[in-house]
Amino acid sequence: MLTLLVLGVLSVVAIAAVFKHHDFFKSLDRRWIFLLMLVAVAIPILFQLSFPEKATGLAQAVFDEIEALEEGAPVLLAFDFDPGSEGELGPMATAFTRHCCEKKLKMYYLSLWPVGPQMIEDSINRVIKSDFPTLEYGQDYVNLGYKPGNEGVIKVIVTDLRELYTTDAKGTNIDQIPMMAGIKSVQDFDLVINVSAGYAGTKEWVQYAATPYKEQIRIVAGCTGVQAPLLYPYIPEQLPGLLGAIKGAAEYEKLVVDMYTPEGETPDPKYLEGIRRMGPQLVAHVLMIVLIIAGNIIFFVEKKREAQR
Amino acid sequence: MKRLVPYWIAAVAGFVLIVSHFIPDSQGWGEVAAIWFDILQAIAFILGGGNLIKIHLKKASDRPAGWGYSVVVLVSFLTVLSVGLLKVGVPPAPIQEYYGESFAPLPLASIPASQVFTVPGSIPEKVSFLRFRQVRAKVHASVRAQLREEGGQITFRGWMRGNQRTQLLGYKEQLAWQCNIENLFDASQAKDELAGRIQYYVDHSVLSFKGHMNEEQRDALLAFDGDASWEAAVNELYDKSQATTDVRVDEVPPLFDPDALPANVSYDAGTLSVRGPMNAGQRGQLVGLFPTARPVDGSARTALLDELRALGPVETEQVAAFDRLLDGLWSVESLTHVLDEAAKAQEEDKTACEMLDEQVAGVTDIDPQKMPGDGRTLNRAQVAALGRFAEDESLTIGGLVAMLREAGDLSGAQERALRRFLGPVPTAGTLRKSLCFAMMKVDDFEGRRLTLNEGQHDLLLADYRAQAAWRHAMRGLMRRAHTVKFPWSGEYNAQGAPFWWLYEYMFKPLQATIFAMLAFYVASAAFRAFRAKNIEAILLLSTAFIILLGRTFAGVWMTSWIADDSAFAGLKVENLSMYIMQVFNTAGNRAIMIGIALGITSTSLKVLLGVDRSYLGSAQE
Repeated sequence: MLTLLVLGVLSVVAIAAVFKHHDFFKSLDRRWIFLLMLVAVAIPILFQLSFPEKATGLAQAVFDEIEALEEGAPVLLAFDFDPGSEGELGPMATAFTRHCCEKKLKMYYLSLWPVGPQMIEDSINRVIKSDFPTLEYGQDYVNLGYKPGNEGVIKVIVTDLRELYTTDAKGTNIDQIPMMAGIKSVQDFDLVINVSAGYAGTKEWVQYAATPYKEQIRIVAGCTGVQAPLLYPYIPEQLPGLLGAIKGAAEYEKLVVDMYTPEGETPDPKYLEGIRRMGPQLVAHVLMIVLIIAGNIIFFVEKKREAQR
Repeated sequence: MKRLVPYWIAAVAGFVLIVSHFIPDSQGWGEVAAIWFDILQAIAFILGGGNLIKIHLKKASDRPAGWGYSVVVLVSFLTVLSVGLLKVGVPPAPIQEYYGESFAPLPLASIPASQVFTVPGSIPEKVSFLRFRQVRAKVHASVRAQLREEGGQITFRGWMRGNQRTQLLGYKEQLAWQCNIENLFDASQAKDELAGRIQYYVDHSVLSFKGHMNEEQRDALLAFDGDASWEAAVNELYDKSQATTDVRVDEVPPLFDPDALPANVSYDAGTLSVRGPMNAGQRGQLVGLFPTARPVDGSARTALLDELRALGPVETEQVAAFDRLLDGLWSVESLTHVLDEAAKAQEEDKTACEMLDEQVAGVTDIDPQKMPGDGRTLNRAQVAALGRFAEDESLTIGGLVAMLREAGDLSGAQERALRRFLGPVPTAGTLRKSLCFAMMKVDDFEGRRLTLNEGQHDLLLADYRAQAAWRHAMRGLMRRAHTVKFPWSGEYNAQGAPFWWLYEYMFKPLQATIFAMLAFYVASAAFRAFRAKNIEAILLLSTAFIILLGRTFAGVWMTSWIADDSAFAGLKVENLSMYIMQVFNTAGNRAIMIGIALGITSTSLKVLLGVDRSYLGSAQE
């Protein structure tokens, strides 16, 4: 609370300063703005500022969809993102993997992005190998890797997975992987979880998998902030749950941490990464608002001056 | 013609996809079209790479402003491409390396006639469907070359492996055939001193020998009626398996017994030597010479805590974490329960020959499972043996099995259950390491992270350090005793390989940096361009404020004074933000999407019907 009060006071002071010295701010070098943004992002990171999170309906829906699955249910995790969007999507990928591990689901990873397999490996190393070492590759989780073709891949694997995936990412024949027995197509998965940074991603999974096979395929997703507005039209019929950007990740993280952290234990910081990243986001958003207001003060003062002349 | 061909490809592919979407029987056509689309997409990658080289070479050649960046792009592209394609510094794939085996090239025909095994019978015909056509199925590729049907006999050249047996059993679900395969498998196993040692890999045309070959084994192999190639292969395997690899070890594990080492492993004055290649089982045997963690009772806990307290403070929260971890360990009671449960009769699969016998005897309703005789639950002496094992860290799991057998009956199922139960239990050193980390993962009542001092660390981690050093030495010994067979079999992005380094320490941070720079430009743009010039701009600004605040805790905090159940709860910033997204945004986006869909439909029809040919490079034919 104190942090927010301080932030509010600083914002008011900044706006008042702009009002008083608008001539100075009118010709403000943009590098000062860059510096302000750097400070706004750095301070919450350095001082480890974090704020409480409350799950909204969409995050709760994602959580409930996974929570409703039976132990051992097959789940397809499509990680369609790259290091550029890891800042937004990494925490939710980690939380999805942890939730699936806690629920003892069978995890099948794949990606439609060339560097997606590395994102999958990151998640596997960060969560499964370090915290769930008893889970066995090929029995409990498998990385099917990357296939080029974007929505073309989805179009094929919704009816026949083996047409395109003859081996896993390591080159092992798919028929030699025990957990692949009984999986013929995407329709055999109880849920598709997509983490998407753009094209091909959630929109394509909804259009080519969840929509034509609405009885067989259910999908929940996590996406970047810029994608979220474009995906709202599919909610809730074609897309029951959606995590929008780091805010969605933080809300979902909270649900997973609350449910699965044993009483008296402090959750591992890697499972609170989304909540931690909300601190810099808050200060950066406030700065953006202050900058917009400041810019408009200058605009209106100039306009008034022009009118007086 | 140059335009007609692409036009027809586009038209046919388009119509096939439309037809396959609406007619279920033609779904396969759509799949074929989509696969071709994927193939073309993959080819586009190559074209894209070529185009990139062409454009940047031209820039580097013409030297306009900024041509240096083109050089950087070219160098980076070619470096990553060559490092990835040539798999520079990539270790071979463990699954392809056949650790513990030596290989010698040998044509299949040179396997001695005495090692061709037969059973009476024939290979049944099997029909399968491939792309709507009936075709005669073949036996699996891994056995095709070794399996023959000659004069009413099924013959197998060489020694059948477990996976080949599985493939053949799965070829046809017919009891007579499966029984023949079971018999053939039993007949084709190497006997006596060669049991489990000799194999033939038909895909690689190599003879393989597991571990170190002694002179008796060599003579036994040479005694087969083989030709010159056979003799040469056997001699090569013998030579390869004679190499000795040493490793220096400063400290041996607590359960190390030089007299109980595998036959080809010896220990002398701090040097461990292995003759021939070392397999994963032998490595596991050496690595597992550390005691399994035993249940820690109250007095042992107190003693360990006292040792820790003598070295520094131990807080109440840390003691709670310490107890929580130790409470989760196994107990004699739980192990007894597991072994007693395993003693209860469990159904086992019948062999195909057993079921065939029943079929011949006229049984119509054959049960594929059988109930073996009841095992016995543990007697008092056996439970006492479990108690001794729980107290004495010098006892091994193998020693426990011997003690249980000495004290009473122990079925195979019980031994398997015992090993399954104790297998995942950490070693004593790993348990102490876990204690160390658990005690450093707790906060005190003020939320401060608690820690341990250096002396306490050393006390809890000493055993684990010794264990890690030994395991590292054993891994190194196995690697050095191994001759690489397929150097290019590893993954291009294997951890530690140059490609991985390029990705992890160049590509990843650079891409993340580029994306993060957006925040700076957006901030600058917000200050300079986001002006309330008219009503539409004011609406846009107001929406932006609500969304910006609604996506953080600041918005929640600002309107926290409005009660959740009040009539004005909808005015809370987070609810306003959600309302805007779900109503205005969704409505607007749906309208746009419907418009786009109609546009796509009309444009697609124009393309498919040949009205619009602009995608061929020109609007005119």
